[in-house]
Amino acid sequence: MFSDPRYYLWLIPALPLLAAAVIGVLGKAILRDRSHWLCIGGAIGACILSFMTLSAVSGLEGDRIDGHRCIRIYYTWFHAGNVDIPFSLQADGLTAVMLVTVTFIGSLIAIYSVGYMHGDPGFPRFFAAVSLFLASMTLLVLANNFIVLFAAWEGVGLCSYLLVGFWYAKPSAADAARKAFLVTRLGDVGLFLGILLIWVNFGYSLEYDVVFERARSFDNHGLLVVICLLLFSGAVGKSAQFPLHVWLPDAMEGPSPVSALIHAATMVTAGVYLVARCTPLFGQAPEAQLVVACIAAGTALLAALIALTQSDLKRVLAYSTISQLGYMFLALGSGTMDHRLAAVAVTAAIFHLFTHAFFKALLFLGAGSVMHAMGGIIDMRRFSGLRRLLPVTHWTFLCGAGALAGIPLLSGFWSKDEILAVTKQAGQPGSFASGIYLLLFFIGVATAGLTGFYTFRAYFLTFWGEEKVPHEAGHHAHESPPVMTLPLCVLAVGAVGAGLVFGPTGWFGGFLEEHWVNPEFPRRLLSDRAEHAHDYLVMLFSSIVALTGVGAAYWMYVRQPALADSLARAWTGLYELSRNKFYLDDFFYSMIVKPLTVLALLARVVDQYIVDGLVDLVGQVPAFIGYAVRPVQNGLVQFYALLMALGVGGFFLAILLR
Amino acid sequence: MEFEHYLLHVLLALPLVGAIVVALQGPKRQTAVRRISLGVSLVIAFCSFILAGRFMALERPWTAPQKPTERISTTFQPEFVPGLKSTALHDAGTDWDLIPLGAGTVQFYLGVDGINLFLIVLTAVLFPPCVLISWNQVHERVNEFYAWLLALQTCVLGVFMAFDIVLFYVFFELSLVPLFFLIGIWGGPERRYAARKFFVYTLTGSLLTLLGIMGVVLAVYSRTHVLTFSIPELVVLVNQQLAIQDSESRAYWLSIQMVVFSLLVAGFAVKVPLVPFHTWLPLAHVEAPTAGSVDLAGLLLKIGVYGFLRLCIPLTPDVSLAWGLPLVTVLAVIGIIYGAFCAYAQDDVKKLIAYSSISHLGLCMAAVYSLTATGLAGGLFQMVNHGLSTGLLFLLIGMLYERYHTRMLQDYSGMATRLPLFGFCLMFAVLSSVGLPGLNGFVGEALCFFGIMEEETTYGGGPFFAVVALSGMVLGAWYLITMVRRLLFGPLKEPHHDGPAIPDMEPREWATFLPLAALCLLLGLYPHPFLATSQPDVDRLAHLADAARQRQQQDVQARR
Repeated sequence: MFSDPRYYLWLIPALPLLAAAVIGVLGKAILRDRSHWLCIGGAIGACILSFMTLSAVSGLEGDRIDGHRCIRIYYTWFHAGNVDIPFSLQADGLTAVMLVTVTFIGSLIAIYSVGYMHGDPGFPRFFAAVSLFLASMTLLVLANNFIVLFAAWEGVGLCSYLLVGFWYAKPSAADAARKAFLVTRLGDVGLFLGILLIWVNFGYSLEYDVVFERARSFDNHGLLVVICLLLFSGAVGKSAQFPLHVWLPDAMEGPSPVSALIHAATMVTAGVYLVARCTPLFGQAPEAQLVVACIAAGTALLAALIALTQSDLKRVLAYSTISQLGYMFLALGSGTMDHRLAAVAVTAAIFHLFTHAFFKALLFLGAGSVMHAMGGIIDMRRFSGLRRLLPVTHWTFLCGAGALAGIPLLSGFWSKDEILAVTKQAGQPGSFASGIYLLLFFIGVATAGLTGFYTFRAYFLTFWGEEKVPHEAGHHAHESPPVMTLPLCVLAVGAVGAGLVFGPTGWFGGFLEEHWVNPEFPRRLLSDRAEHAHDYLVMLFSSIVALTGVGAAYWMYVRQPALADSLARAWTGLYELSRNKFYLDDFFYSMIVKPLTVLALLARVVDQYIVDGLVDLVGQVPAFIGYAVRPVQNGLVQFYALLMALGVGGFFLAILLR
Repeated sequence: MEFEHYLLHVLLALPLVGAIVVALQGPKRQTAVRRISLGVSLVIAFCSFILAGRFMALERPWTAPQKPTERISTTFQPEFVPGLKSTALHDAGTDWDLIPLGAGTVQFYLGVDGINLFLIVLTAVLFPPCVLISWNQVHERVNEFYAWLLALQTCVLGVFMAFDIVLFYVFFELSLVPLFFLIGIWGGPERRYAARKFFVYTLTGSLLTLLGIMGVVLAVYSRTHVLTFSIPELVVLVNQQLAIQDSESRAYWLSIQMVVFSLLVAGFAVKVPLVPFHTWLPLAHVEAPTAGSVDLAGLLLKIGVYGFLRLCIPLTPDVSLAWGLPLVTVLAVIGIIYGAFCAYAQDDVKKLIAYSSISHLGLCMAAVYSLTATGLAGGLFQMVNHGLSTGLLFLLIGMLYERYHTRMLQDYSGMATRLPLFGFCLMFAVLSSVGLPGLNGFVGEALCFFGIMEEETTYGGGPFFAVVALSGMVLGAWYLITMVRRLLFGPLKEPHHDGPAIPDMEPREWATFLPLAALCLLLGLYPHPFLATSQPDVDRLAHLADAARQRQQQDVQARR
């Protein structure tokens, strides 16, 4: 039974879910500071099963219909009218890769958290939520239809909400949690609308393969573009793309392991997964893909510009996450049908997702380790020169920073170059919107330079210069315990080596193509992979740009530390623009949040005084009528007699005149 | 007669008997009163589960007739009808006659079908928590309080079970009386005003409903010379008449339907409530004791929607389609948005939840008036969901009020630090209410959206209302998550209170929370059996609507 994943697919989300339930019920009273064992056990169990799934999927024959994936339908979730939603799971190449990434990094982060969260009164609550997150995230990638996907999508959103607001007594954390929930929910409305339109237009089915099959013969192109854009709006919310990216930097209020797991390595890539999964739809809607690519490149550049001047180490990393997610979407948006690039594009995006998960998780955990030593301080103006104080953190952070900056041969270098190469291909003259794609390519390259700069700015500010420790750290600022540094080392190995192992060899792309892309995508979306071997020119070009950025950071923050300040003074306007995040948060607050609140107050007043006032007015009508006719009952017998006489007279008159 | 047939008597009579016993205990024997009430409500809940189990085990296949003109067979009969099925004129019904009126007879006609089954269960399930939550909240005239509470249960169960149109109306009106006293005697400072407004407003509406009911009975009598008060029979007769392809008959029935529809809607729209007939609701909720709020939101509002399902749609399908669909959809969608905005701006938590009910019921009504099988099922499911999740919210706010005697949001902050278990429970209820997948709200909301979308894209111009209704998804999260932020999160601010430290959730409170929470989970994870049980009856309703759609198309073609 172990050879067939269909028997154990359900266990992958079920193990962490069980752990979450048990910790949730028993954590506070019985497990207490032993709660992590269940969480780690669930995560590692899911990880082992994920690797088994990966090996099983790689053993499947891709040439049979549906032969490249295992599907298991468990039960009918709900069925009414034309809606029929089974609870079903599937595993193919893409799912297997995502599963392995999520559970492997999840396990490492769970182990790290034991040290990081040690002594926190919410210790069991933390591990319950992390387990619940792992369950939801694995379910998200295992889903076989859009509704199960959406359910898990909301589930990871909930866990993000609970963990961002983990220290809920802190107003900033509580506000950040609310913001994260509501902003992503805004995107989810679009996603659900897209799902509804798919259901109505593609014959009342929501299973991936049926939908993708019917999309091939779908003739309403405009509608398809709309559907793709709606699906993408969900991804924009979840993966923090412009203009819904504003929640992610605030989400750094959560504990650092959460930032690493949810807001860097896994949950925020759910949008990338969704768009990649729906490539059979997007591939047929080049206009939608162009929008995806433009938003992605714009987000990448914008976030990188903001990251240049942030003083909070975790926020720098958060903006770099937004920027890197932009790269992934740039790849997905470049794989248009017209360019026959779909296969290369999605594999490049998923490859970047994979390497990014390693080095960004590493960077966040490193930042967490710094924070741990600095007594909760993460403002880079308050500490510096930590290189000797935190040797392991320093070296592992350097590995991550190098990978993020795209230093040649490290993992980020390979995956980012694949993306840039795809975008450049899409910009070749003669094809759809080639001019725009060429522009996007240059934006991508420029962003690479900025990435090198801000990453190493953060690195130099934190670890170089004179040793300075904030007073919150006390006198015992020290390296983190082994339970924290060990996961850092493992991730550092991944950040350095993952690219070298999977990039030049083409194993990663080859696996995805064989076990996901080739069997599933329409033929016309594909081209031969050999045509797109590594583009050495792009590699050279982007390496030079990235290294220039790193060099500039070295020059500004190590050699000439005064230069940064004088530059900031010289370019005050631009500096303030970047430091205030292009005033986007303020803009949204005054243009959306404030008006809505005023509208709500207005609704309250209208309801209380106008709508209800009208009701009361109508209620007064009987009383008013009574009041109006009351004088008739005046108690004067003569008056009654007069009226009676008049009445009888009128009666006879009516009879006579008839 | 099988034993299921006694179940309905037990369900209907037991609360009444309990009410009398409790009332006779006198105000002094408070503990005895509470224990008897709890026992009675638990027995009723148990009976309702048996009823549901027996009903779900029945085989009730139904396939729609192929042609709309085909005689709609008498498949609207409920199951488990007490009394012998009479064989004479009526295909079914009962031999329990109440008032003979010439050719027809008002009967004591009870039954269960897929539409009312889960509402009966919901009614039975919501009462033990109501008894428990009032345990320490009510100290004055305890026996009367519980007597009215149990009497209310009889009335509500009566509305849901009645299959005789007069009996339905009698229970419909009677249900006002216990709640009037519950609000008027045990309510807050403005209780008299609230009770009077609640009573007069809903009574005014439902008096018009009575005219509508009489109208449909007399219209059927004048055309077919059958005087009947049985709802299933009326439905069949009306729809047979509607299927007659004769312009005189068609015109007659269209005008009759128009009148009947307007009159029925007058009562039900106030009850649901549809915007702008909702203003009695926030007031009544704020002033009502917790148990009254739970019953009001959980059950009384459902009577309105149930009226649409049981009477309005099957008895006036043509006008429901031509006029009701656009009218109700517009009002309902306005209600979704407007209710959400009003809810956001409230400072009183109870008022906030009251407005959230308006928003949720808006979605429910929009789905019901999509007149598709999907939407009808979604609306029905959402009724039960709303009863559970809003009931939970009211119960929890009641627990908080019991501790601190304030419901104002500005008096609280960071209560999760002080009452972590309470915080967990409130979070659960909020998540159920905002439609988090895995809990009940999601399935209901999703089906509602599917239904609205299906109607609009299949028959309407485009998915305009579906898009607007979907905004309820984010608006609902907006006001509820903001409430959580203000109430539970942030630095601790506890309202002033005297005496010992305030305890977290007590066993009695867990006993009110856990059963409902378990049902929320069950309905969220495995709703299929429930949907499958009500499907045949929902399909029947949808079939009537489809037949009306075909007639509408024929009319359009005839005019060309």
